[in-house]
Parts: sequence; C-alpha cells; structure tokens
Amino acid sequence: MDGASAVAQQIPLEHFLVLSAILFSIGVYGVLSRRNAVLIIMSVELMLNAASINMVAFAAYASPGAFIGIIFAIFIITIAAAEVGLALAIVLRVFRNRQTANVDELDTLRW
Amino acid sequence: MGMTDAWLLPLLPAGAFVVLLLFGPYLPRKGDWIAIGAMAATFGLVFPIIFDFTDELSRHGAEFAGVANSTQWLEVPGYLELRLGVHVDAITIVMLAVVTFVSLMVQVYSLAYMKGDSRYGWFYAVLSLFTASMLALVLADNFLLLYFAWELVGLCSYLLIGHYSHLRSAAEASKKAFITTRLGDVGLLIAIILLWRDTGTFNIQEIIAAAQAGTIRTEVLTASVVLLFLGAMGKSAQFPFHVWLPDAMEGPTPVSALIHAATMVVAGVYLVARTLPLFALVEGGQELVLAVGLLTTFMSAGMGLVMTDIKRVIAYSTINSLGLMFVALGVGAPGAAMLYLFTHAFFKALLFLGAGSVIHATDRQEVDQLGGLWSKMPITGVTFAVGALSMAGLPFLSGFWAKDEILHALLDNRGVFALTLLTLPVTAFYMTRVFVLTFLGEPKDPEAHAHAHESPLTMWVPLALLAGLTFVSGLIVFDQVGRALGFPGGIGEIIYAHEPEIFHFSVGNAIGSSLLVLLGLALAWYIYMLRPGTSAVAVRTFRPVYTLLVNKFYIDAVYQAIVDNVVLGVARMVAWFDRNVVNDTGVDGAGYTTKFAGYLLKYQQTGRLPNYALGIVVGVIALALVAFSIKG
Repeated sequence: MDGASAVAQQIPLEHFLVLSAILFSIGVYGVLSRRNAVLIIMSVELMLNAASINMVAFAAYASPGAFIGIIFAIFIITIAAAEVGLALAIVLRVFRNRQTANVDELDTLRW
Repeated sequence: MGMTDAWLLPLLPAGAFVVLLLFGPYLPRKGDWIAIGAMAATFGLVFPIIFDFTDELSRHGAEFAGVANSTQWLEVPGYLELRLGVHVDAITIVMLAVVTFVSLMVQVYSLAYMKGDSRYGWFYAVLSLFTASMLALVLADNFLLLYFAWELVGLCSYLLIGHYSHLRSAAEASKKAFITTRLGDVGLLIAIILLWRDTGTFNIQEIIAAAQAGTIRTEVLTASVVLLFLGAMGKSAQFPFHVWLPDAMEGPTPVSALIHAATMVVAGVYLVARTLPLFALVEGGQELVLAVGLLTTFMSAGMGLVMTDIKRVIAYSTINSLGLMFVALGVGAPGAAMLYLFTHAFFKALLFLGAGSVIHATDRQEVDQLGGLWSKMPITGVTFAVGALSMAGLPFLSGFWAKDEILHALLDNRGVFALTLLTLPVTAFYMTRVFVLTFLGEPKDPEAHAHAHESPLTMWVPLALLAGLTFVSGLIVFDQVGRALGFPGGIGEIIYAHEPEIFHFSVGNAIGSSLLVLLGLALAWYIYMLRPGTSAVAVRTFRPVYTLLVNKFYIDAVYQAIVDNVVLGVARMVAWFDRNVVNDTGVDGAGYTTKFAGYLLKYQQTGRLPNYALGIVVGVIALALVAFSIKG
C-alpha cells in the first residue's frame, strides 16, 4: 500500500470524491436524457465506475491496511461486465424484433 | 346405593343419549332398548334412595334437611370456588320418583307410537337426554348446575316439539316454546348472578341461609326473587308466558305427556318450591306467586272450555293445574303443591297417552271428527275416563286428595278460596266434554271410526299402569298406607317433611268441592250427551264470551302483533342498516375504493423507461435527504 499512501499524501480525498460525483452525475444525466438503449447502458457503466472510484478512494484513505473497499470495486467490475453482457444481448434481441433501440418506442408494458 | 350416590341417576340416561347419538343408526332397533334399559335402571335405582331417605327421616325426624354431596369443579383461588353436587331432600325424592316413572312409561309407549318414524333413534336419544337433564335439575345443589340443566330441558323440549320438522306449524311451535321460555330464563340467569354477587356462592341452601341471616341486601333479594319467578313462569307456562304450551302440542303425543307430566313444566313449580324461603323473605313475594297462579288458573279454565283439539284441551288443563300449584305455593303450602304435582304427573301422563292412543288409532285429533270410540277402544276409553275424572277432582281419585289439600291450605284466605272453588266446575265441565265428544255419542267421521282399533300392548300397558296409579297414588297421604308400604309415617311425611302437620282433611271442604265438581260433570253430560244441540245454542247466546275464549283472550294475537310490528320492525331497521350501511357502504365501499384507486394509479405505468429511471433517481435522492436529515 506504499503507492496508494504516496498518492494519498499528494492528492487529497476530496478530489477523488468530486471526480466520482461528476462521473456519477454524467451517468444519471445520460440515463435520463438518452433515448438509445445502448447509450443508456453506457451511462449506467459510468455510474458503476463512479461508485468504484469512490470505494477505492475510501479504501485507500480511511483504512489503508484493509482490502474490503478494493474487493468491493472488483465485485462491481465483475457484475458490471455480466450486466453489460446481458443488457446488450437483450437490446440486440429487441433490435432484431423491432428494428429500433429507441426506448420511447418500447412501451408495450403500460396501461 | 344411598342418597349421596344420587348423582349416578342422570348419568344413566345421559349415557344412553351419547351411545344412541354415536352408534344409534348401527344398533338393532336403532338402540331403543338401550334408552329403555337405562331408563328402567334409573327407575330401579330410585328405590334404594327413597328407602335410604325414609331411614334417615325416621332417625332424625322432621328437622332432617336432606343430604348433600359435592365435589370441586373449578377454583379461582381467593375469588371463586365452583362446586358440583347433588342435594337430596323431600322435594327431590318426589320429583325423582315422578320423573323416572313417567319417563319410563313414555318410552315404553313410544315403542309402538313412534314405530316407523324416520327419526326413531334420534327421538329416543333426545327423550333420554330430556330425562337426564330433568334429573340433574332436581338433584342440583347449586344454581349453576340447575341453570345448566334448566337450559338443557328447554333445548330438549325444543327438539322434541319440533320433531315433525317437515311441518311448518311444528317448526313454529318449537321456536315459540323456545323463545317464550327463554324470556323467563334470562330472568333466572340474572337472578342467579345477583344472588352470587351478594353471597359469593351458588349453593342454593347456603344462599337461603344467607338470605335468612339478612346478609343479602333487601333490594337485591327482591329483584332476584322476582327474576327467579320470571324463569319459573316461563317454564311452567304461567300467564303471560302460557302461550307456548298449547302450541307445543305440535310435538309427538308421548312428548306432550313427558313435557306436561314430568320433565318440563313442573320444573318451574320445583324451582319455586325449592326457593320458597326466599319468596317468604320478600315482601309481596308469595302474593306475586299467588296472583299469577290464580290468574293463570282462571284464564286456562276458560280457554279449555272451547278448544276442539283433544290435545289442546288437555294442554289447557295442564296450565290450569300448574296455576293451582302456584296458588298453593303462593300461600306457603309447598307440601300441597308437591302432592298435587305428584298425583298430577300420573293422571296427566295418562290423559296424554290416552289421547295419543286415540290419534294413533284414528289419525284425527279434532273432537269434531271423533266420537263413539268407546266400543272400539275400551281400554283407552276406560283409562282416559279415569284420568279425566281425576283431573276433574272426582272423590277418591288421586286428583281429589291433592285438590282438597290445596283448598285446605287456602282456608285462611277466603277470597282466593272462593275464586279457586269457582274453577272446579269449569275444569270438570271441559274434561267431561272432551271425554264425551271423543268416546261417546255418534261417530262424526265414519271413515275414521271404521278404521279405529285398540292400541297394541306396549301402548295400553302404560295406560293401565298409570290408571292404576291414578286410583291409588292419592291414598299415600294416609299414614296407614305409607306404613304398609314401608315408609314410616307414610309418603305423606316425605312430602310434608318440613311442615308440622301431616295431612289435613276436612269433610266440609270435600263435600263442597265434590258437589261443585259433580255440578260441572252433570252440566257437561247434559249438554253434550243428552241434548247434543245445546252447545250450539250456548255458543250463540254467549257469542262475545265464546269469541273471546276461542281467540285465547287475544293474547296470542297481541304477541303476534308485537312481534310483527315491534320486533320485526326493529329487525327491518337493522336489516336496512346492514344492507345499506354495512354492506353497500362498508364492504362494497372498500371494494369500490380499491378499484377506483387502481383506476387512478394505473396511469403511472407509462411503459416509458426514462420515466421509471427518473422515478428511481428522485426516490434515491429523497431517501438520501431523509437519511441526512435524520442523522442531523
């Protein structure tokens, strides 16, 4: 953890948190504003990565000797990979069936 | 088998009830032999108890207050202890003998009478339960057990009166009997609770002792005595609760015999006789009993005059007799009342079983359709005549001794004495009338007459036995007869155990009352036998009186009007409330509200992903704000 400690001495924690918050907000904005399903999935990935940065930053600053935060980040990466695989497969099938990936047109589950 | 083992008595017929209820359909003859066997055993077991009682009586003399035996039932430490037990004294002994003997006769009689009935086994089961509950009632040493048995008796009478449940009239009659007696039962229950509150015990003897010691507040004692009497009035069909008894004739005739002679209506007389010391302590208590008894005697004598249904005439004669018993209790002569109850049981059972024999033979029960059965049914005719004459009070039959005993007790009360004398010729008149119209004269329905036949052995043997007892049961009032039977001092002493004198007989009373009875007999004989057209003339002459009597003083009509207008009116209001408020607003309202809410809320399901995503984001932000604000 020497490397991480060294970084921690030069860059304060707030910088990581601000970065994470900015990334997360961009992700939220993307999810809410995009209409293309693939772009929405990409935005979700941004949010996941923002969370990962948060985890790792806290792990390095709050409890340098522990692995919990880092392990959490690795889990997030794993789940994100699985999720993207699944989501893209669904989008692909939807596109095959409807010739569109625009979520506004995918509204059959309504009243 | 001594007096302390008397608790066994109700268990035998109760056991028969359980066996018949569970296994009746699988038993040969549907188990009637079990019911009769249990009843015969119970009757047999009464004798050792009687002998034990007379032994004790001769040892202790008139102070002997009976034997009690009880066991703990339930205990709430420091608050309440319930005991379950029996108390055997003079009154109980008389009731035990009457109940078991009449029940046995009725069950034997029913072998033929109820043959082929679709619910034969059930009938015997309920008969057994009926007797068991009545035995428990008269043996109970505490009000709680008494009330329990009291309600069971009411239930059994309900079941048996409505035995022909396919007849609407039977169903209505059983309902009427149950509801009418229930009005009184509520009074009894309240009285029991009131007495318990002030004494902390349900034991009848302890409550009487407490009342005599003055530990019960006067107003509480007064209220409970009145309420107690209300219960007795309901069960014993006293005015204004008498309306159920004539309608109870819808039940099978053996049931009528049982209800009238042994198990139902005498429960009220028993209750008042048992608690008479309480009535004596309350100012006006005995006068209330006297007034109700007298009024009932009068009204029923009048109504008995004009009824045309053979069973109804006898039913009104029962109300008449019960009124007399209450009159005797009202002047503080329980001995006379119990003697009348004792003799009445035999001749009233005889009358009903005789009427049942006629109905069995002809399938008719209106006297307008009967007549001339004397030659066809000699045994029924003779025994019925004995019963009718005993009811009328003809000298030397059992009813005569009991009736004169009551008259003797009334001697100090000139007004009541005179009024009671007045009912004697009326009773004699209508008993003669029903006998003449049924058995003598020309047959009014030739077809029914042609098919009539004497009843089978199992029916006329009980008739003959009861007729025999009607002859001799009155004689036990004489010391010599009692001693010859092995009772020191005669059975009269059993009945009068608590009174100083044993039997009073005055020649003047006897001659006077007998003349009145003979007057009634002769008048009825003249009108219905010698000049058959006279009754129609009498009806025309006294049209208003006749109309009043035939309509039962319009009491039933008034009750019907009250039920129709008040009870059903309230019921309709409640039904309206139930239908409109509870159902339409409450139940349906909840349904419609949910449905309408769903109708409104369905629009949130837009099916558009961004909307949902926005919802998630807003939700998360809201949760975060809440979390921060709580953390403060």
